[in-house]
Amino acid sequence: MVRVARLLLVLFLAGVIVGEQTIVPSPVYARKRKRRKKKKPSKPKLPPIKTPAQKLKLLRSIGASMPTRKVAGRIRFTSETLDKGLQVQIGLSASHFARLIGDAAFARRVYLDLNGRPPTQGELDRFVRNADQGKRKKLIDTLLDGDEFSRKWGRFWQTIIFYNSDANKNRVNRKALEDWLAKKFKANAGWDQITAELISATGKEKDNGPDNFNLANGNKPEKLAAETARVFLGISIQCAECHDHPFDRWKRRQFHELAAFFARGKYYMKGKKDPTQKTLIKARFLLGETPPAYLNADYRRVAVAAYLIYNPKNYWFARAYVNRIWSELLGDGFYSVDSLGPDSEVVHKIVVNRLAAVFRYRNFDTKWLFRTIMNSNTYQRDIRTIDSQTDLFTAVRPSRLRSDQVAASVRQSLGAKFADKAIAITFKTNPSIPQRDLEGSIQQALLMMNSRVINAGIRSGPLKKQLVRIRDNRKLVAAAFRQTLARRPTEQEAVRYTSYLRRHSKNRAAAIEDILWVLLNSTEFITKR
Amino acid sequence: MQNDLLLDVGLDRHGSVSRRRFLQLGSAALAGSGLLGSMSLHAAELKKQNRACILVWLSGGPSQMETWDPKPGTTNGGQTKAIRTAASGVQIAEYWPKLARQMRDVAVIRTMTNKEGAHARATYHLHTGRRPTGVLKFPNFGSVVASQLGDPEADIPNFVSIGNTISSGFLGVQTAPFVVRRAGQLPDNAALAIPQSRLRERLTMLAQQDDDFAHAGATELATEHQALYKQASKMMLSPQLKAFQLAGESAAMKTAYGPSPFGQGLLVARRLVEAGVPFIEVRRGGWDNHRNLYKALPKNAGMVDQGLAQLIADLKQRGRLDRTLIVCVGEFGRTPKLNKRGGRDHWPKNFGLLMAGAGVRGGKVIGKTADDGMTVVDRPLVVEDMFQTMCRAMKIDPTTQMVTPIGRPLKIVDGGQVISGIFA
Repeated sequence: MVRVARLLLVLFLAGVIVGEQTIVPSPVYARKRKRRKKKKPSKPKLPPIKTPAQKLKLLRSIGASMPTRKVAGRIRFTSETLDKGLQVQIGLSASHFARLIGDAAFARRVYLDLNGRPPTQGELDRFVRNADQGKRKKLIDTLLDGDEFSRKWGRFWQTIIFYNSDANKNRVNRKALEDWLAKKFKANAGWDQITAELISATGKEKDNGPDNFNLANGNKPEKLAAETARVFLGISIQCAECHDHPFDRWKRRQFHELAAFFARGKYYMKGKKDPTQKTLIKARFLLGETPPAYLNADYRRVAVAAYLIYNPKNYWFARAYVNRIWSELLGDGFYSVDSLGPDSEVVHKIVVNRLAAVFRYRNFDTKWLFRTIMNSNTYQRDIRTIDSQTDLFTAVRPSRLRSDQVAASVRQSLGAKFADKAIAITFKTNPSIPQRDLEGSIQQALLMMNSRVINAGIRSGPLKKQLVRIRDNRKLVAAAFRQTLARRPTEQEAVRYTSYLRRHSKNRAAAIEDILWVLLNSTEFITKR
Repeated sequence: MQNDLLLDVGLDRHGSVSRRRFLQLGSAALAGSGLLGSMSLHAAELKKQNRACILVWLSGGPSQMETWDPKPGTTNGGQTKAIRTAASGVQIAEYWPKLARQMRDVAVIRTMTNKEGAHARATYHLHTGRRPTGVLKFPNFGSVVASQLGDPEADIPNFVSIGNTISSGFLGVQTAPFVVRRAGQLPDNAALAIPQSRLRERLTMLAQQDDDFAHAGATELATEHQALYKQASKMMLSPQLKAFQLAGESAAMKTAYGPSPFGQGLLVARRLVEAGVPFIEVRRGGWDNHRNLYKALPKNAGMVDQGLAQLIADLKQRGRLDRTLIVCVGEFGRTPKLNKRGGRDHWPKNFGLLMAGAGVRGGKVIGKTADDGMTVVDRPLVVEDMFQTMCRAMKIDPTTQMVTPIGRPLKIVDGGQVISGIFA
């Protein structure tokens, strides 16, 4: 362990303080020295990193040597701390903040966010009827420990990693990556561990989950540099591949220095004006750390993972994850999730920086982050259209559901499970585009309106059969709302639909279908409120 | 250790935050409008002209020697003979007799050059004018045309593709290719499942439902949703939808295009042009002839020959050819030397394409390759030249800036020049 520690000291201070050790000649050997050739300084023996476990062990030791660890135990940060901090930053009086949502809305929101589906009728009823004061906290805890949570979020990150990939389908295995991520989330592996494994995987074996980060990028250094920065640091540096970034501080050379980490051998930057001219580039991380020259490609990967994750000056890593999850849960981020410009763009910077710092102190415990955010008042507020930056986080932005959530909603409402594939294609969205910039497509509208499968589900699915048997119109409407929108109808809605049923009493079945069609095609059905 | 420059405030990054809102014209009525605010008077004039482009995409990389640059009597040329065409001095491969008769309206380009030899990358390059780099997805040229020339109030989409194609990239959903799976069929889910009156009742209730939701705090979403549904139902109820089907075409017309899905696809393309759609892509695969080229190719050629020749003749007869650009191309060519399996492999170094209509001067050949087909002897062209030429034909300004989601401005075509002498 001491030996490893010494090696690590050499490895990671190498870029800052001294280079390799030099041999100091002793006077005793002075005469012999003339004949003997000067020995080259020997390479320090590096710990093996053949298996992921060994890589992680090395990374852990590095992490353990970083100063921030010592602060960890003293920090106390709860959902209340978060709420108070935000309230101060937002600086508006309490009346400006939306009220907290009711139990039914909470259940729908939480099930969609954590499990990727709305609650079943049974789950909804049980939650609403439960008199326990701490039931919201308990629901969050229960769902976080379930398989659906890890599956949904495994899929989420797999989509992000593969979104910009143009790799041949036969060279990657998206399912392997998703399964591996799901396994990691279930075991509550730290985000640092997950990232480290993704970055330091060799990219040779597609059926090995983490290798797919490399394979999705074709094992190309430039693409890996751009994607590592985008996915894990939340910064967009791909412009700098060809020229100095016009808005931001990234110089062209820095991009290629980062790419050098991902090359197997030597890395060359092509000339800007003359592409045949090549410059040898040494690996150098965005904040200036350089790995010792004797590290080979595999060790360099571990090195870049370490600089990315553990350098206390690199607050982007923790903050990018925090911002991404926050964005997905609240509908707005503190900044754009994968294209942060100059830091001045970050809103309520103190809050997100602090949340990110505590996330680090908690060893990148992702479930802790979910708990802290979701138990806060900020997360549990009512929806409101956020028009300006001043209103940010005074309410929750109503978000478009992702394709898996839409598919689950349709399935659960109607029992129509064959629309899944069509929905997956039509409702696919880029997870990195902010909610306020997303748009619906005409194909989505056409699908929900006219899909044969969905309409068959409306006409002859279990829900219709259940509703046809209910004689009381009010009860019918209430049941329809509960199954499709997970709430009770308002008085206005109840009147509207019961009178529709009365007007069409001669063809009640068709009238019920009409109502179901309307609810399924409503904005609300595909929105997280 | 580098000094902490993180708080250095650089240039203002205008446009990066909520770029779409910045550019959107705001009101729900215009929610259907394209993302580029180029609704200038000039653009309005262009829309009236109804210029259109039909891209005939030969997927797989058609062999130049078996299409527009035959080398009869040479080892490399193989068994393909050359035939004379209606244009004096222009000869093409023997498998294209019908097209040969239309040659006076077609320009043959023999010397397109490129470096992309992989299907996916080359297809992307030939559709967007940019090589695939990094994370930015460039829009299909069809999406560019749809946003520049398409009427945002049109009943049917402004970019239709029969079969899947490259996406609209950063231009977003408004100009995404509207994919029709099979020629002669309505697009997926476009058909009314119930009588119109019932649909209207449902839509009225839906509007009320969404209105409630808007008041409950989702104003923007609900408004946009309603605009989208309005657009979708306009399409469902539109008489223009018939353009996708073939009812009303005589049996003779249908036969003239050829019975294949491809041929019928070109007929649908002609109908869509008449319905005002500015960009249609029709594709025909089967050109990736790594083996047994002479067995597979002639039949495939026959299909495209018949359809393409009929399309040109048909448009000309209807007086539409001078405003419709036809481009026939694949992602690359094939090796001049036949391989051991009787086929040819990928060859982007020099390959060919056809252009017709929209002012293109037909009946001529542009570019010359060596007798063995291995090198370009005269007028090597690049992909950007093709796009510059297409922009000129469509009267689109290639220097128009498109803006990506992170605020980066990019010209429609970067580099290249209009192919000189191609326009009358």
